[in-house]
Amino acid sequence: MKESDRKEKYDFLIRFSKSSSISAFRKICLKVLKKGRCSFLDSEYKPVKCVGECRHLKLGKYLAMMKSSHLREYMAFKCSCNKVCLSFPIVQGSSVYGHVLFMHLDSEPKKSAIDAIRISMDMALKEFQKEQELNKLYETIRPRAIALSTIHTIHRLLSSTLNMDELIERIARLTLQVMRSRHCSIMLLDESKKYLIPKAVINLDKEILRTDPQYRKIRLGVRMEGKVAKTGKVAILKNSVCVPLVEEEIIGVISARDKINDAPFDRFELEILITLAEQAVIAIKNAQMYEEQERMAYGSIKTLAALLDSKSPNTFTHSDQFVKMVLAIAEEIKLPREDIINLHYAALLPDTGKFSVPDEILKKPGSLSRKEYDIVKKQHLESIKIIEHMEFLKPAIPIIKHHHERFDGKGYPDGLEGNQIPAGARIMAVANAFEAMISARPYKGKKISAAQAIREIVRNKGTQFDPRTVDAFIKVAEKPEYRNI
Amino acid sequence: MKNIKRLFKNEAARKILLFFNENPNCIDTAKGISLWIGGDINVIQKALAQLVKEGVITIHQAASTAAYAYTNNKEIVKKIEKYIKSML
Repeated sequence: MKESDRKEKYDFLIRFSKSSSISAFRKICLKVLKKGRCSFLDSEYKPVKCVGECRHLKLGKYLAMMKSSHLREYMAFKCSCNKVCLSFPIVQGSSVYGHVLFMHLDSEPKKSAIDAIRISMDMALKEFQKEQELNKLYETIRPRAIALSTIHTIHRLLSSTLNMDELIERIARLTLQVMRSRHCSIMLLDESKKYLIPKAVINLDKEILRTDPQYRKIRLGVRMEGKVAKTGKVAILKNSVCVPLVEEEIIGVISARDKINDAPFDRFELEILITLAEQAVIAIKNAQMYEEQERMAYGSIKTLAALLDSKSPNTFTHSDQFVKMVLAIAEEIKLPREDIINLHYAALLPDTGKFSVPDEILKKPGSLSRKEYDIVKKQHLESIKIIEHMEFLKPAIPIIKHHHERFDGKGYPDGLEGNQIPAGARIMAVANAFEAMISARPYKGKKISAAQAIREIVRNKGTQFDPRTVDAFIKVAEKPEYRNI
Repeated sequence: MKNIKRLFKNEAARKILLFFNENPNCIDTAKGISLWIGGDINVIQKALAQLVKEGVITIHQAASTAAYAYTNNKEIVKKIEKYIKSML
């Protein structure tokens, strides 16, 4: 018998002897033979799993000596102790996998008992076969189902952000996790399609800075990543794997290196990385489209601002530094990204409504009369009328509308107080006041220094201004670039 | 990480560690993991949070989803693997 056949039969016998199907067989044997305990001998009658005392193991050798290794039938015989024993073959198809041995029976078994044992053995084998098939199915399907669920989870994680930097970083971290690797990099093709630009490089052992050589661009066709980007074919080496990011055409590559257990990457992991790359491409494309949309939105707002500015410079819009300061305060407060985008829009067009304010009021030196002030106060509603037709600006409307509210509720137009005022509007209120104080506006009189303006804002903390916003503003305003906005 | 033995005393934590030791590439939500290993999702969620604190499990947090995965710390993975082998 070949060594492989012997091993296969041996493994079968071991599994069968441990399976739950053998217990039903034992119960029958207990009934018909008055003996439920049995030993297992391999196809050559060598004991593999024995109960009872060691001296009985000699039985195996005894049977083997009888040269009955090909025996496909049961055998009742007397052992060296002169007691009746029964060996019963475990047969499946044309193969004898081994024998079950019952020792020291009270009497020689009757034919009816042998028939019952035979039927029971057949049933046990069928049951075992079913069990085996189920196990095999479980072993094959379960890892794939888990992998599928992993991919589904990755899809959910990736589709929850449209911020490109955040997305690329997330793809890299998930790749490290799924591939169990120490190193991962994501590179995207530049506009010329001649170079790969590293967008995220993560190494578990050390932080990779943007200035690190690993962030240098790679020419197409050079190194593993360059070759994959050029050919579009996956590469799997002993300790690294690289797959292209393809969406109609190649947009980049994703690679993993050095598994944490130092084992080589296998085909299963390559399959997972390919699927992950497919998910990543969709998410990257979505983020790119969103960025494009954002750029278009900013373009529209800037065009509108430029149009207004052409009528009266610095009247309807604020300086770039003002916008930067507003955004810096928002970052300091850690406003959600979506809110920061809307605040950005609002900061670009806070006083659009001044368009409806007569020039003699806009350019009037000194204080305004009550009637004139009422006209200026209404300009917010005009601002809203102008921008409300632009769908993407709608979330910015509450910020524009309420950026003259006061924290104590004494502002306008609605007299909102505290947290009723949108966070963006509270930020705009502080930055607007600061800008007004340090720049000369017709109706505000002389400008004051940045230090004086900061003191003034601090003095009004909790009354005119939101304390939390003022704290964030102080941190930002202390930076030199905001001293002369 | 605390004493591994202590981690394995908690039934839910033990099931989670056995699951991730067997499927180290997996990333799944608490609901998904409770489905794979069986058990009440709240109990599993609690055990996952504890294992995250211990540094054995990593959490990937997104706006609407929190997913859990096995640590990439080689030493911890080795220790757990060794402990599981010793249990068998």
